[in-house]
Amino acid sequence: MKFTILIICTLSCVIFSLFIGTVDLSFIDVLKALLGRGTDTNNIIIRELRLPRSLTGAVIGAGLGASGAALQGYTRNPLAAPGILGFTACAALGAVIALYFGFYKWIPLAALSGTAIGAFLILKISGNRKSASTLILAGVGVSALATALTGLTMNFSPNPWALSEMVYWLMGSLSDSQFVDLLICAPLTIIGIIMLTLIGPDLKTLSLGEETAVSLGVSLGRLRAILIIGTALCVGSGVAIAGAIGFIGLFIPHIIRLIFGSDPIKLIPLSAISGAGFLVFADIISRYLTGPGTQLYLGILTSLIGVPFFLYLAIKETKV
Amino acid sequence: MIHINNLLSGYGPCDVIQNISAEGKQGELIALVGANGSGKSTLLKTLAGIITPTSGTINYLGKELAGFSSRKRAKIISYLAQNREAYPSMPVYEIVELGRAPYRGSLGQISSTGKDIIESAMVRTKTQALKDRKFNNLSGGEQARVLLARALAVDAPIILADEPISALDPAFQISMMQALQREAKKGKIVITALHDLSLASQFSSKIWMLKNGKIVAKGVPKKVLNAENLKNTFQVKLPKGGFKALQLAN
Repeated sequence: MKFTILIICTLSCVIFSLFIGTVDLSFIDVLKALLGRGTDTNNIIIRELRLPRSLTGAVIGAGLGASGAALQGYTRNPLAAPGILGFTACAALGAVIALYFGFYKWIPLAALSGTAIGAFLILKISGNRKSASTLILAGVGVSALATALTGLTMNFSPNPWALSEMVYWLMGSLSDSQFVDLLICAPLTIIGIIMLTLIGPDLKTLSLGEETAVSLGVSLGRLRAILIIGTALCVGSGVAIAGAIGFIGLFIPHIIRLIFGSDPIKLIPLSAISGAGFLVFADIISRYLTGPGTQLYLGILTSLIGVPFFLYLAIKETKV
Repeated sequence: MIHINNLLSGYGPCDVIQNISAEGKQGELIALVGANGSGKSTLLKTLAGIITPTSGTINYLGKELAGFSSRKRAKIISYLAQNREAYPSMPVYEIVELGRAPYRGSLGQISSTGKDIIESAMVRTKTQALKDRKFNNLSGGEQARVLLARALAVDAPIILADEPISALDPAFQISMMQALQREAKKGKIVITALHDLSLASQFSSKIWMLKNGKIVAKGVPKKVLNAENLKNTFQVKLPKGGFKALQLAN
């Protein structure tokens, strides 16, 4: 029942988002445009603007939700978030470097390359060591380095215009999403989510402690490698398209855990579904609040919506 | 039959286990005794595949365990860790179910045979009534029984238990030892680290006495737990009249 409600909520967000925008379209108009039978303008609005935007948001939200759930399972810490491994910072660095040189079309590739370098570094640093804390320390180090280099790039930005582009990009937005973005982002994120879902059973075993998990046949090295690559695919492809969108990976798994329990086998796919719904919902709000000349960036909004709710849950949980 | 040959093992550069050779047969309950730091836990962790030995071999039924995949090895050896660090909010049944981890499908599915084995492990450890309770709401004794049920749910021919009765009251200590003894009688090899020499003498069929990473004495309890060995290994005297057997009141 709870699962059905979750699916309905997520699907409703995606469908509802098709009606949001400066041009008012009726249900019939949207349906016709979706089937390619609307007017030329409506077809373009729905098929080339709103649908790619909604689907890209859903895919990115799903990736962030799944990777947050997997990382919280691996570190056995509810405060772990996708950013903890430094991939958000690495992707941001790649994108900012592309903006520095004015290579706007290469932003996704640059962000993905940044994530790939980050993933390689973290795999190398934490490779032979078994403990989860080594992985977190490696992540914190790589993240701090990437953030410093991002700051350095912005420091030496060639002109104020480029600097403002970088700042806005770092706030995260889906407003320029096109089908080509979805084509880059969706396959990588889906592979990432599948990888993370498949380590769910091992993550559950890990909740008994690393030694017991090893004695039960869990290969910690393999588990960590899949976790790092799966998270890099989800986070890297998301940041590459929409910029830095925070907080979803932290608070979505937390809410799902309260509703559905802490079993990582269920938690990872359910966090993906609700992450998808939540990001599309946040994007709907951002579109409502965005007027001519002003844009409310999605990354800011996800935190603004998420934080009060998260704090409410945290206080409620401590009282119980 | 498990054969340990010239085993050297430890953490980092120093070997805690110094050239141990021993063997265990089906139906035996072997008690590992020795002072703190003598290498009992390190030996069990090496046998369980948690620590990779520096040199030496461990063979089960003539096959070397080092050549096995971690999953295949987990089907042969079940390990019960010393600390009870299970996920606090997890229900008891889900913890016991994790004993089937080496056999489950890629999405965590458990076969009907697996479910029967879980049920049987819970019956043997008297944990069925706790099934739906959260692990962190149980008493220390109940937690120990649940983790034993988890170890039995692996249904492996070898069971390793690292001080399974530590921090338990006498009645729970005896019932835990009885449960391990029943497993041995059913044809399993049970190797358990114990600090309580009285329980070791009462329940084990063999004792391996460790000192500084070496087995200094091995054999039946009566032979190993003599005055001289106790003095050399623990710096204690043999109690007058030897070790007395403890029994449950009812």
